[in-house]
Order: sequence, then structure tokens, then C-alpha cells
Amino acid sequence: MTHTTFPGAVRTVAALAALGAGTILPAQAANESRPLQAGTEYMVVVNHPNNLNVLDLKDNSVFKTCALPGAFGPGMVQIAPDRKTAYILNNRFGTIYGVRLDDCQVHFQAELSPAPEVRAKSIFSFALSVDGKEAYAVYNPTTLHKDHYEVGEPRLVVYDTAAGVDARPIRSFPAPRQVTMLQGAADGSLYMVGANIFKVDVHTGKRELALPIRDWQRPSYAPVDVLSVWPVQTPTRDFTLLYTTARFTDDKQDPATAEYLYGYLNVNLESGQTEARDFGPLTEIYFTGARSPKDPNIMFGLLHRLAKYDVRQQKLIGAAELEHTYYAVIPSTSGDRMYLTGTFNDVAIYDADTLAKLGNIELPGGDMSLGTAQVFIR
Amino acid sequence: MVSRAPLDGAVPVASPAFPTRTHSHEAKGDPVLNRKTIARAMGALTVLGTMLAATPAGASAEAVLHGKCTACHVEQDGVFSRISNQRKTPEGWLMSVARMQVMHGLKITDEERRSVVKYLADTQGLAPSETAGFRYALERRLNTPESFESEQFAQMCARCHSGARVRLQRRAPEDWQRLVHFHLGQFATTEYQMWGRDRDWFTVALDEVAPGLARSQPLDTEAWKAWRASTPPAVDGQWTVSGQMPGRGGFSGVMTVSTLAGKDRHAVSFEGAWDDGSALKGQGQAVVYTGYEWRADLQLDGTPMRQVLAVEPGLMRGRMFQRDHDEVGADIVASRQQAGNSRVLSVYPAYLKVGQEAELRIVGTELAGDVRLAEGIELLGVARRSATEVVVRVRAGASARGVAPVTVGQASGGALAVFERIDAVRVVPEFAVARIGGNGTPTAKVEGRFDAEAWAAGADGQIGTADDYRIGVFPARWSVAPFDEQAERDKDVQFAGVMDADSGVFVPGGAGPNPARRMMTNNAGNLKVLAEVGQGAEVVRGEGHLIVTVPRWNNPPIP
Repeated sequence: MTHTTFPGAVRTVAALAALGAGTILPAQAANESRPLQAGTEYMVVVNHPNNLNVLDLKDNSVFKTCALPGAFGPGMVQIAPDRKTAYILNNRFGTIYGVRLDDCQVHFQAELSPAPEVRAKSIFSFALSVDGKEAYAVYNPTTLHKDHYEVGEPRLVVYDTAAGVDARPIRSFPAPRQVTMLQGAADGSLYMVGANIFKVDVHTGKRELALPIRDWQRPSYAPVDVLSVWPVQTPTRDFTLLYTTARFTDDKQDPATAEYLYGYLNVNLESGQTEARDFGPLTEIYFTGARSPKDPNIMFGLLHRLAKYDVRQQKLIGAAELEHTYYAVIPSTSGDRMYLTGTFNDVAIYDADTLAKLGNIELPGGDMSLGTAQVFIR
Repeated sequence: MVSRAPLDGAVPVASPAFPTRTHSHEAKGDPVLNRKTIARAMGALTVLGTMLAATPAGASAEAVLHGKCTACHVEQDGVFSRISNQRKTPEGWLMSVARMQVMHGLKITDEERRSVVKYLADTQGLAPSETAGFRYALERRLNTPESFESEQFAQMCARCHSGARVRLQRRAPEDWQRLVHFHLGQFATTEYQMWGRDRDWFTVALDEVAPGLARSQPLDTEAWKAWRASTPPAVDGQWTVSGQMPGRGGFSGVMTVSTLAGKDRHAVSFEGAWDDGSALKGQGQAVVYTGYEWRADLQLDGTPMRQVLAVEPGLMRGRMFQRDHDEVGADIVASRQQAGNSRVLSVYPAYLKVGQEAELRIVGTELAGDVRLAEGIELLGVARRSATEVVVRVRAGASARGVAPVTVGQASGGALAVFERIDAVRVVPEFAVARIGGNGTPTAKVEGRFDAEAWAAGADGQIGTADDYRIGVFPARWSVAPFDEQAERDKDVQFAGVMDADSGVFVPGGAGPNPARRMMTNNAGNLKVLAEVGQGAEVVRGEGHLIVTVPRWNNPPIP
């Protein structure tokens, strides 16, 4: 048996990138100064070698391509609330860039490393405040001494997004290890996904438990497993991640007879309401899941297929075969379409109701790797 | 016991249950690292690994240590920070020194590196008993399934690299902890992967795993002290060598070893023949590390080969493999031609059928005295004999059924099987991993190579019972089949590679996405390996399991 793994995907992407080397093109400067149009729905997505693409979702075309500074990886995008700036965690997980979408100019840059001898990486843990005035990151530092490394305590750092291209933290707090995602909530708090989901006060660094993951004790259930690194900013401000678990059918907790399940953990970033529930049998692996903006009872899962579940019935109600694997499923603002990103250099478009394929948008350059794309209306 | 996939296998790294599978995405990786740098580094290590035995170590290792290593490592009274707190194999030291070159800007010549690796392996190596049970990793037996008593060790250490890599090291307690810091500092996603994210990985590693390793694998041991005080076994002279290579057959011959200038360096020549009579010869050089770690590079019939052997008094054991295709290799054993070193290494053929009359060739050293075979084997005459080879004519009687020792005077070690019929065929290895490659990518294909091993049921006539006995390797008709429904649906047999019907050698497909496959997946596959051994009109079948998976992008000397 061979198995799909999250880290494996990185390797595949590396291999694909190498194979596609002949076709990988740097961004063309020709359209960099093309301003976005108000009212138009766009997707922003990063791909190899280091392109920031703006896709026009009205006619499913590449609207413009900005060349990013630094090194590629992971190309994770967060869109500012004014829809004018894309913030990108990139440069091998070490730098946050703010890129003005109208002219491709970098107007914000924050190096996570606090000192030359400290290697600092954010493992996908970067978000914006709901008003767009602050950016948050959790980084894991390692001090590179002459003859040994010293792993330090992770830090939550807060930046002023108006700080320019040499931004330094305006506040900084200790953070737990193993953080994978952040999202800013309407009440100004920050949700932090790690061993559990925490709600963090960005002024004091104080954490409270929002939803347990490692500490979620359910009698007759195996511990849940969560690995989510795609913080999609949905139109409904619905922050959803998948878990897998097993429900034991006897007191002996025999894995052979257990029922394997998918579930979701959800934070409503508008209201602060949280929810955790099983939504269907675990029969295939998904990297990401998304709830329909039109109907929260409909859940999508994506990796080798785009699958659709009825949450209340805990039932698979449809699945589309794909031309290749995709990592991240992102709903359109209306919820009518689902955009599939990651893996290669094409974004696939599916009808959210019928799961019929509607088309592809081919990106200039190579694969999208693991980076999170975002959909928004300017 | 915790069972794991083979060293070379695809270890599940995601969720608790895996009813599904895909072809395209396995292996482990670290998105934080510059993949190209690491790939280059590991590629460099592979190249360096092949150079362990090459040229003279003229540069002074002490000069390198004091002149270059002290740029980062503090030296006090001959004790170097970090370096003096570790002991490991020649390959282990090579990986460390090469990492300093590739990752930390150390500039040294190849000669200086060889010199310092030799010095460190000699002065801070492992005693033979400290490598016991884990030599498969040094011998590049990448199909070896590992299993460890400690589930924690398997999950914390052996999920990303072989457990053998850890077991082949000794460190001071603080250095085991620094190794934990290095791992998380260098491979930042370690604590996020499966068997990392379900626990407070860093705390467990620092507070439980590192102290445990300090206890079980301490820097100072009686075994090492005793080994350093002992006289290393002699290697110069003539050695009778016997080997068995899956997919090709057995061979034997004489290896001549003579001292060269430079510490522990030797010229090596080999002259012998395959069991089918075709010649096998060549020459090269060897270096003996730590007093017993024999590493030789030879050109055998034009093919670059490496030997990784452990030397004992009068005996060497290990593996010889193609330098550029280490899956193509042979188990070898060699006995030094010296007074009193009587040993039978091999008997060819290794089996006879009841009623068969045949010439039996016994290979070894100091073969003087009577040839003794199982009761029921009639010795018809001696065709020729020397101290290293005895050829006799025999007839196998029905009462000789089973496996019995073959001795010549004081020389023991050989065995001969006598059988009436083949009752079962086993595919060896029972589980193997081949890897797609080539096709414009920098990584070569890794073949699968199989033998068909015939077994007899023994006196009870029932196969699967304690009195079954191994007859030996038989020619077979080879094929592959889908392992399961998924493999059938994905046409793995069509895409994953080609099994040679006669040799049992499986050559995998090219690397990269294949537009002709479902979902453009690569040429990975999940296959049954089928062997058919003819017995009169009857066919006896054996079945193995072959995973054809993605290339090994990181391929350091110790997996």
C-alpha cells in the first residue's frame, strides 16, 4: 500500500516543479500595473517560480501576474479587508510581504527572524486583523550557535501593516509549539490552531481554549487527528478544518471493528461560535474541506476527488473524479462554484451544486505547491 | 514488537486509518528547507560515500581537526566540543563531515575529508558488537523491514530515517539532547507530522527520548574500551570468497589482499567464477576502518562494485553491491587461507533430488581430510581436490531427504539439501520496494530482484509445519499481477514496470507524472510477484509483494 501524506505532497510538488522546469516562467512585467476593477470577483494565488497571480473569475482568465521578491514557499495568501493588498507568507516560510494588487508594489515586508543568528519560520501561521491594521504571525525560532542549534520558544508577533518594508513587531508574546494556522475574528481576537484551537487576546497574548483537539476527550472515540494548513478566508467568515477519528464499537476499543469518521472543527469568525462534529465516514483522504456558503449543511472535501457531504445525514451525496489531485477547495463568494488549487499550475472550477466541471485556469509558470489562494470581490 | 515498513518503504504518515491510497504522493519532506540544497547535499553524500575507499589518506587528520574544525568546535586539551562526544561508523562520520561541507561552509579537500573520517572512525568508532543487528543499513539492504521493541523509538526516530541510523551511534547525554535541537531546528515540520502532532514532540524528545538513548547508547562502553585494547584481525593474504546474488546466482573465487602505503590501505584483486561457469574477476582497493570495517571499491568485469564487510579473525562477512545500483548485490562470506582456519563456505549445487547423481563442489579453506555427507548420500569418488576446493561425485538416496551438514575434515559450515519433491515456493524477498526513476529526472530507477526458494514439507508431508526445510533457489517463470482491486483498476501492471520472466528482475517505469494514467499519476504500483517453478508436468507457485514507489530523493550512505 502506498499512502497519501501531507509531507509527501511537498515532495511530489518538488518533483513536479523539477519536471516542469522547462515551462516555469517568471512573471511577465507587461500586466503588472493593470488595476483591479471594483465589483469583479478575483482569485489571488502564488505559483512557481515566484508569481503572484490575480485571476479574473468572471471570464476565468489570468488578469495579471506580479513577480514576488525573495524565495518561493509556501506562497500563502491573506487578503486585506479593503481588498487592495495581498499579504503573502513566503521566502521559505521566513518573510511576510504586503503586495498592492493594483501595481504589484511591495509596500510591507516583515522578516520573521529577530536576529541574524536566529532562523525563524512560520509554519503557515499568519493572519490579518479584521480591520487590516495588524498582521499576526507565530514563528518557531532556532538560534544557530557555532557548534549547536538551540530551539527556542515560539513567539506570536504583531505587526502594524502600515510599518513599511522594514516592519518590526509592535508587540510580541510567547506562543505554544505546533501552531499551524491563525485567523482574525470580528471581535478583534485571534484564533490559533495548534494542539488545540485557542482564542488569543492580541494585546496581552493571553490564550483561552476555543475548541479542544488534543484535549478533546470523547468516550469511545480515538483521539482526533488534525493537520490543516490552508486558512481560507471564506465569504461567510466560516473557518473550518477537518479532523479524522475512529468511533469504537466495543469496550475493547478494537481498531479493527471501529468506525472511521471525518469531522470538522468550525469557528464562526463573525460571532465567535464554535462547533465540532462528525460529518461522514472516512473512506478517502482529503487535505481540505469547506462548508458551502449557501448551505452550512453541505460540506466539501478535496484531494483525489471533490466530494460532497450532507452533514446532518452524515452521508456522502456526490463526488467528482478529478484530472489530478488538488489540495485546497475554495468556494466562490456566491457559493455556486468551487475552485480547486494546489499541486499543478491549473485552477479547476466545479459547479458546487452538480459537481460538474466548468473549466480550468492555467497559470503562467509552475505548480502552486501548498500555498493558500483566496477569492474576493474588489 | 512494532512492525514497520521496510527501510525503503512508504511509511504511512498521515491519518489513523487509510482505506484509500494514491500513487502520486508519498515519502516525507520538509517544506521549510531549501529542497534543492538538501537534494544536492544528499547527492553529494552519495558520491562521497562511494569514495570512502579510494585514495591514500595523506593529510593529517589532526591537522584538519585543529586547523579547520576549530573554526566552530572549541578544543580544550584535545577534546573538541560536539565531536568528542560522539562515536559512530565510518559512514556516520562521513555524513557528519560532509554535512559540515554542504551546510556549514567547511572547505576541505577530498583527501582531508577521507583522512579525518578515517581518524574519527578509528578513534571514535563502534566496537563490532555495537554494530551487531544493524549492519543491514551499512550494507545497503534497503528492503530490510525494521521493527523495534519501543513504539516510542519507532515513532520519534525511525519514522523519518532508519532506526539503524540511530542505533549505530553513541553519544554523551548532552549531545543526544543537542541532536534533538538540531533535528527540530533543521527539519521544522518534524513536530507537525504524524506521530509528531499527536504529542508535545519537543518535550518528549528532550525529556524522554534523549535520556533514554543516553542510557542505552552511551559514549563510554566496556565493549569499545575492550575493542580499542585488542589487536585487529589480519586481512592481508588470500581469501576464499563465496557469494549469492539474487537474480544472478552464486559465485566463488579467491580474493588477494596486499598492503599498500598508508594506514590500513590494501590492494585487492578477485578471481573467480559464477556457479554457471562464467568468469568473474577484477581489482580495486580497500580501507579497513576501526580495525574491522572493510570498505572496498572494485571493478568487477567492468562494473564498479563496493564491499561492506566486517572482519573477524579469519573471516569476513557482509555484502558486495554495484556502486551505482546498490539494490544489485550479493551476500558474501570470505575465509582467510591460513593454517588452522578450516571452513566450508559453500556447496554447489546446494541441493540434490533423490536418485540424482551429480558432481558436488565444496568451496572453503584448509579443506583437508574426509568429506562427510548425510547418511544416504553415496560418495562415488573424488574428482579433484585442493585446500580450497573439493569436487566429489555423489548419488542422493531417499534416506538422505532433508538438510545435512557437509564437512571436510575439521572444516564445517556447508550444507546440502536432498529432496523428493518441491512442496512450496517462496518468493524472496517476500516484500520488496522498487522505485521509478530516470525519464529525465536525476534519480535512477531502483530494480526489484527476486529469487524463488523451493521448500519441502518434511516427514509429515504438511507444508507450514516445523519440519519443513529449505531446498534452495530454483529457476522460475516470473510475472507480476495486480495486488488488489485498486491496482487492477489503475492498471499498475501495465504502467509500473516490467518483470523479466527468466531472471526475476523487475525494472520499474520512468519517474514523473504520466498523462496516460488515471489522474496523471506517476508509474507507482502495487503488485503481486509470481514465481512458477516447474516440477515435471506440475507447476509450484510462490507469491511475493512488490511496491513500486517514488524515487528516494535523499539517499545518504546510511538510510
